[in-house]
Amino acid sequence: MSGALGNALALWGRLALASTRSQMQYRTSFAISCLVMFGVMASDLVPVWALARFFGAVDGWTFAELALLYGMVETSWATVETTLRGFENFSVYLVQGDLDRILLRPRHVILQVAARDFDARKLSRIAQGLLVLVIACVVLGLDARALGWVALGVLGGMLCFAGIVMAGAAVNFWTLGEAQELQNILTYGGAAALTYPVSIYATWFRRAITFAVPLAFVNYFPALAALGRTEAAGWPAFMPWLSPFVCAGVLAFGFGFFTRGLRRYESTGS
Amino acid sequence: MGDLRPYLQYARLAFQRRAAYRLANWTGVAVNVFFLLVHAQVLIAFFRSRPLALGWSAQDAVLYFTASEALLMVIGIFPDYRFNLSERIRTGDVVSDLARPVTLFWRDVAERFGTAFYYLLARFPPVFAAGAVLYGVMPPLRLEACLFPVSLALAVAVSAALWYLVCSAAYFRQTANGELAALVFVNTLFGGVFVPIDFYPDWLRVISDLLPFRATLYTPVALFAGKLAGMELAVALAHQLFWFWVLAAAALAIEGRGLRRLATQGG
Repeated sequence: MSGALGNALALWGRLALASTRSQMQYRTSFAISCLVMFGVMASDLVPVWALARFFGAVDGWTFAELALLYGMVETSWATVETTLRGFENFSVYLVQGDLDRILLRPRHVILQVAARDFDARKLSRIAQGLLVLVIACVVLGLDARALGWVALGVLGGMLCFAGIVMAGAAVNFWTLGEAQELQNILTYGGAAALTYPVSIYATWFRRAITFAVPLAFVNYFPALAALGRTEAAGWPAFMPWLSPFVCAGVLAFGFGFFTRGLRRYESTGS
Repeated sequence: MGDLRPYLQYARLAFQRRAAYRLANWTGVAVNVFFLLVHAQVLIAFFRSRPLALGWSAQDAVLYFTASEALLMVIGIFPDYRFNLSERIRTGDVVSDLARPVTLFWRDVAERFGTAFYYLLARFPPVFAAGAVLYGVMPPLRLEACLFPVSLALAVAVSAALWYLVCSAAYFRQTANGELAALVFVNTLFGGVFVPIDFYPDWLRVISDLLPFRATLYTPVALFAGKLAGMELAVALAHQLFWFWVLAAAALAIEGRGLRRLATQGG
């Protein structure tokens, strides 16, 4: 099993490297893109910082604590976006017939789709997410136990977002590529919503992102545990402990959904 | 610029190209409304500690953000990575543009207006209606509102000029994808997409006021939300006009140099 996994990772690495080489053809553009990713972080965080500076904490969360939420969700989402990029562009493969070529090759479909369109520039987004996360942890003076919760949240977030992009790609088997942009609501939109504590949202919205699509388990509950505030926020103490299980459940759902879609796939033919 | 007819034709074609993808517009509406939901609630939450700040109420801020979200695509804050000058240079399609008696810059401006007109009809109404239904926001009825169409047109023109200038890097290096992405974040940050620049600290406010980026989103949106009046409004419109003039002059100068440097590819 470990041999097979190592082999799969090596193949993913080769495919990713091939994509990177093609992007490096435009060297200056590549360098600028990497720098730009840090600018994106500034355009995300500066408005939040300006509001927090002007109004003070929001619902008891200071800017450093908001940055912790942002760093956690950004690190997990950027990692998934980088490593599983192909699922985001999946509608294109389906419509243009690339999927047929993928299916002909003797390797697992999920592995091939994951590494397609790998974008090395996005590695700098993981770096900026981590940078914000580390600074937030230092500023907040988190101890080892708290850091454990942060790490658990980031890992869970990766599983959760991986499940969402797989499920989003799977929907295309039924809609034939027409609804790809809707998954952006759960990924980019979800990541934007998770920059703030779930408690600020209206009840129906809070319930939707806690129970319907369990995004709150990505960073809100682990952050509450890290800051020692779970019960103060009105949640039972066991909620953060559910995080890894819920996130793994989302991944299992996405994986299963994608596999089911793949089984009913009949190509477009020509 | 010469004959206007070909430019009107470009504007019409840009309109039709968008109109061909109806479902894409509705999924776009869904994405805009989701962001509207999130950020409106965030703004309301921040205003809980202070009901009135710098003359803004939570309702004003939500109105501002609703207009911002509804006008994002009209003004063109996000680039079109498929149809733009940089992409035409990369693929070599620019050759067929050069065979035509048009200025590439004014062609881009015309296309931007065609696109803007489509989104004004197809994107603005549903997104704004969602804000009106969910949060009861309505633009105040004031005489200054008559100037909104002028400000919006200037915003579209400035936005077109910025995109053209960014894409013109491709004259010299074949592609401008990095610069395109950079323009998104400076437009977002200095144009006040999420938070009105009024709430920025003084030094950042001054930088935002001087740069051209507030001419794209902030000025028309703040005017729409009833937050610009009198002298401030006059200065804001002059700022838009000034920057369009500067950017257009720069664009035309670069076009002259760029076309001499341009090496097309393809066969």
